Amino acid sequence: MDQLKTVSWIIFIVSAAAILYALILNPASWIVYTISLVFIPLFILSLGLISMARGKKEDEEDKIKEPFIGY
Amino acid sequence: MNLMADILLNVTVAFFVGSILLGLQRKVMARIQMRPGPPIIQHMLHTLKFFIKETVFPRTAAMPFYVAITIILCAIWVAAVIIGPVTHGPLLLLFAIFAIHKIVEHNAGSSSGSPYGKLSCVRAVFSAAAELPLFAVLIIVFIQTGTMDLNGIIAYQAEHGALLFTLPLTAMIFIVLIISKSYYYSPLNITLARDIVSGFETEHFGTLRGFIMISEAIAWYMLLWIFLTVFLGALTPIEYLIAMVILTAIVGLINAVTPILNPNHSVMTEVTLAFIGIVGSLLMIFFL
Repeated sequence: MDQLKTVSWIIFIVSAAAILYALILNPASWIVYTISLVFIPLFILSLGLISMARGKKEDEEDKIKEPFIGY
Repeated sequence: MNLMADILLNVTVAFFVGSILLGLQRKVMARIQMRPGPPIIQHMLHTLKFFIKETVFPRTAAMPFYVAITIILCAIWVAAVIIGPVTHGPLLLLFAIFAIHKIVEHNAGSSSGSPYGKLSCVRAVFSAAAELPLFAVLIIVFIQTGTMDLNGIIAYQAEHGALLFTLPLTAMIFIVLIISKSYYYSPLNITLARDIVSGFETEHFGTLRGFIMISEAIAWYMLLWIFLTVFLGALTPIEYLIAMVILTAIVGLINAVTPILNPNHSVMTEVTLAFIGIVGSLLMIFFL
């Protein structure tokens, strides 16, 4: 597993745990707001980085080099 | 309801409704231009498709800012949902979020290595002058209602009637603002104008583009929600939905029949309409 995948899984687990903590234990409002602002975006992004397709390793260099490769 | 559950529910609703509305806008534009157009769920399908597409980080991108800016974009619109539908907090903070959104446009463009992104970044700075309508609405609503709190504005309208009828020119300024922030082929949205491909989003593709599109769907929902709450007061969910569909269709109609203005004309149009709206609204408040 490469570094990006590992970091994504760690962020995913931490953000899911934080959201579940706020859902189940109902902490003070400011803690819920902080968790929402920080961990909802991180949860969505990490989910995307985990589920995204991966290209061939040998093609990666060409894709990284080219500015504006489209989408 | 549990506060976190309330926030999650509202963010999810904002994403789904915002996505469908952006799809509807494309459909309306297509029908006016005698095309069948994409299905209404197209924006959502694109979002989900991009979300699982392969993503690489260009060598020319300024890391980690290139990724962080997408997180900031999402965070500010989650904040808007908290301040708006969840807590009915101060209007001033909602307008601060629009100002931060402009900074995000600027930085998303500059953090990528794309010349299109950088051009969009310059345009984001240039179009900051067009944020004048934003402050005009804020000040005029405060002069009329004596409060900047959303709960206070809703209570004022329950007692005195909808602000749409007492401040029609201010509502007009806000409509100009909505058009300038609309996503597809807006005549006034110079940072996403198609002459610079996808503007500040050009170099953000794959998962990051899907992530940005989620934030944009929430942003569109919130923009309409703020307009309806500030100018019509408290509505039921069904009334909100109907009014959002009507507003989106109107914006689609305007975008379909209006050419995309160049940056100078766009900013001058917004500033001129804001000036007319401010002077007219103040005259109406003090002399009618």
